[in-house]
Amino acid sequence: MPNKIIKSGLKLLENNIRDLFSNLLSLILRLCIISAIGLTFFYIFQWLAITANWKVVSSNVPLFAFGSFPSDQRWRPSLWIISLLFLSIFTLIGPNRKWLRRILPFAWISTIPIGIYLLSGGLGLLPVASRDWGGLSLTILLTGCSFLLSLPLGILLALGRQSKLLVIKHLSSLYIDSMRAVPLIAVLFFGQLLIPLFLPLGVEVDRVWRAVLAFTLFVSAYISEDIRGGLQAIPNTQIEAAETLGLNQFQITFFVLIPQALRIALPALANQAIGLFQNTSLMAILGLVELLGVGRSLLANPEFIGRYIEVYIWLASVYWLFCTFMAILARHIEQRMAIDKPNLVP
Amino acid sequence: MDHIAVRTKKLSKSYTQGLYALDDISIQVDHGKVLVVMGPSGSGKSTLIRTFNGLEPFDEGEVNVLGIQIDSTYDERKIRKIRKRVGMVFQQFNLFPHLSILENITLAPIQVQKRRPIEAEEHAMHLLSQMGIATHSSKYPSQLSGGEQQRVAIARALALKPELLLFDEPTSALDPERVNEVLDVMRRLAKQGMTMVVVTHEVAFAKEVADQVLFMDAGKVIETSTPDLFFSNAQHERSRRFLNQIEKK
Repeated sequence: MPNKIIKSGLKLLENNIRDLFSNLLSLILRLCIISAIGLTFFYIFQWLAITANWKVVSSNVPLFAFGSFPSDQRWRPSLWIISLLFLSIFTLIGPNRKWLRRILPFAWISTIPIGIYLLSGGLGLLPVASRDWGGLSLTILLTGCSFLLSLPLGILLALGRQSKLLVIKHLSSLYIDSMRAVPLIAVLFFGQLLIPLFLPLGVEVDRVWRAVLAFTLFVSAYISEDIRGGLQAIPNTQIEAAETLGLNQFQITFFVLIPQALRIALPALANQAIGLFQNTSLMAILGLVELLGVGRSLLANPEFIGRYIEVYIWLASVYWLFCTFMAILARHIEQRMAIDKPNLVP
Repeated sequence: MDHIAVRTKKLSKSYTQGLYALDDISIQVDHGKVLVVMGPSGSGKSTLIRTFNGLEPFDEGEVNVLGIQIDSTYDERKIRKIRKRVGMVFQQFNLFPHLSILENITLAPIQVQKRRPIEAEEHAMHLLSQMGIATHSSKYPSQLSGGEQQRVAIARALALKPELLLFDEPTSALDPERVNEVLDVMRRLAKQGMTMVVVTHEVAFAKEVADQVLFMDAGKVIETSTPDLFFSNAQHERSRRFLNQIEKK
């Protein structure tokens, strides 16, 4: 009996010691982690606030926004970016009027031609050559144009891949598969360096539009696969119901299949748009002075030599801000457009 | 010939050799009449009515719907002609989830019959108020109960002013307490003289509305008779067994 008590006492002691040591160990670990995080933040803050010289950014904000756009014409890209911002906020608030919701997609599409008009000028505005476009406005233009063009092309490719006509089906598949097998940078090089060689003499396509073309060709292959996924997720009974109503193949595709496929593919499409926004930075090494390009050209300036970290941290934050904003916008649109959810308050 | 809405002659279809989904079916439905098709699952009831508007191709025989004759060659032009005059209501409603109730109903009248949108909408609202769901016109299908969705589906079929309505188990996917709101609409349609072919297990509905009951099993027509005769004194042993089964439920 006493033996038993001693045994259980010893066990208790053992447990206590084990707890004590594990507590001690976890305490030490916790302290280490907290101090590591604290120190990291302290050094980052110290660097950001004291060591870093933000003059390279603060004195060049217009350059980051507009590139070498003529300074007396900078209201044009500013107007465009501000109107995009307002449209985004308007979309996020979600207008309740039905006709307002109806025109929202068209308003978004129209921002692209309006942007091109504001940047390039003509028709009453002073023309500005595309070599003077740059910075954030060029980044947005590249993203917007390429995405807007690759969406219809992607839809056509997705439909083509499901076509009953074997020639169209195989051509679409061939295009999609080969585009997805080539790295983006190769397609961009092709656009910048090889397209001029293939064009007949005297025909010249501007560098910006060659980039848009290359991005469009590349992204549309990926978009078409996203949309094909959407098309395949639509139950066959939807097609039967539409056929029963006497709709023809084109009407079924246009009114029943594509709207549903786009809604299903929306998260994936948002992903492509964000990826495209970031990938436009590749054009910096191919001679376009977009957001990253401005950073690179500033670093080549003797006045700001060695200010790599400031410039890249600034650029990373701008990219981060825009991508996060796009993600929020996409999530909002997704919730609003979702099928099979009681989403719209009548 | 003019009084016949649907007639099939020696209609056959098999998926695999020797296993018939439809086996030598010859039936006839007159204008203004209601045919109820009954039978155990897998007996070919749905396959049969889906051949009427070309959703289901077949191997042999012929189908004549509203004077348009189709055979096993699946002539798409003729089938589209039939579909413009024949409405169909499905078990799972099959409404378009991305369109509002009103848009679901007006899509085909505007796109297929090229009617003016305002006129099509007025007609749709008229149909919806007949179904007792006019207040839901701007909602989306997912916001409605099954019974309401099925009534929308009936309105969508009626919007094309069809001469023949096909119902493929219209109440099988509904909660029991929602079944009658759909059956009531169908009763009213029958009273108004609509020609209907209805696949259903609703005995009370068949007794009340049907002019003719068709009993199928394993792709064959086992028995055709009036509802009075069929439900009180079915001729065939297989029919009696089936009726016993569904009465037990």
